[in-house]
Amino acid sequence: MTAQIAEKLYYEGQKLSMCSEPLGNYFAFTGENPGFESNCTALWRGYVGTWEIKGGRLYMIELTGTLEDGSDATLATIFPNFPDRVFAHWYSGTIRIPQGKMLDYVHMGYGSTYERDLLLTIERGVVTESTVRENGISEDADAPDGYGVGAMTVFPRKEKDGNE
Amino acid sequence: MNYLIGYISLGVVVLTVVYVSHRLSQSPESKFKDDLMSLIRPESENLSDKVITYFIAPFLAAVLILIAWPAVIFYKAREMRFKNLEVQHEQPKEFAVLSSDLIQQLSLEEIERKERVEDPLNAVPDLPFGHLNKAWNIFIEGREPEDEIWSFSAIWTHEWGWKELRAGYVLVRADSIGPYFLTARQNLD
Repeated sequence: MTAQIAEKLYYEGQKLSMCSEPLGNYFAFTGENPGFESNCTALWRGYVGTWEIKGGRLYMIELTGTLEDGSDATLATIFPNFPDRVFAHWYSGTIRIPQGKMLDYVHMGYGSTYERDLLLTIERGVVTESTVRENGISEDADAPDGYGVGAMTVFPRKEKDGNE
Repeated sequence: MNYLIGYISLGVVVLTVVYVSHRLSQSPESKFKDDLMSLIRPESENLSDKVITYFIAPFLAAVLILIAWPAVIFYKAREMRFKNLEVQHEQPKEFAVLSSDLIQQLSLEEIERKERVEDPLNAVPDLPFGHLNKAWNIFIEGREPEDEIWSFSAIWTHEWGWKELRAGYVLVRADSIGPYFLTARQNLD
């Protein structure tokens, strides 16, 4: 397993990295997944979603990825009638947004720790609580600032006829 | 000396095979892959990064293969072996609703009224369960006249040990619990 590329989140005028995947619940609840091609070990889910908190609600506003047939995936691929904005009412949980310098790099999932975690509690797509968890202060002046992935393996892209 | 020349010669053969297979596996990449690279290394436009990426890193990799080519063969063989074993994994234990998870019997009308989703930006269909409406319709299409619909809430322990709260609706037929429709899944750890 490799550290995973985060989702993107616009929150209070900032573009942040979000270590949570609300779209995974949508696929679990509907049983429908268009079949994303995973072309690197840092992105097993095969897509990157862009989200926004607006009016205290969680919205998905963009999706980039490649489907198994080689075509590009967008938000309209999953939500044909809502190509620009989707209210994530199906999601309840805590969204983790790491901030500050990296304290400890873990080359798996979203396991790395950072100086702070902004935690947004979501109930049926609505933000109900916002807290900050302090994890410590980095003593390394050169430690990376903000979420990142250390390394990954990129797979060759499949041909459209299925040959590799 | 002859042994060293032989060893390096074999290294050249391995390096050639690795290089050719790498080149053959290349194909036109999508814009998505470029986006990915910019997400991971937003500074990759720098000249120094390009020198490292296109010259220094391949040179060091080539030297490493020439010196340690037996390790390359070993790791490649191991990778191929594990790839074959991946398909033999056991299927994970499936989640099932238990009678102790049942909360309340509800009519279809009650549920569909309660589960209507509203949004001030109109980013959800005005239907029961919003974006999940299609899945809900498929779920209730499988209902038989005598079936009851119950709400449920369960704590599910994942095969890797973490706990999840799972909630939704389930069909109950003559005291046996049938298919379920999930509306919530939340990690409790």
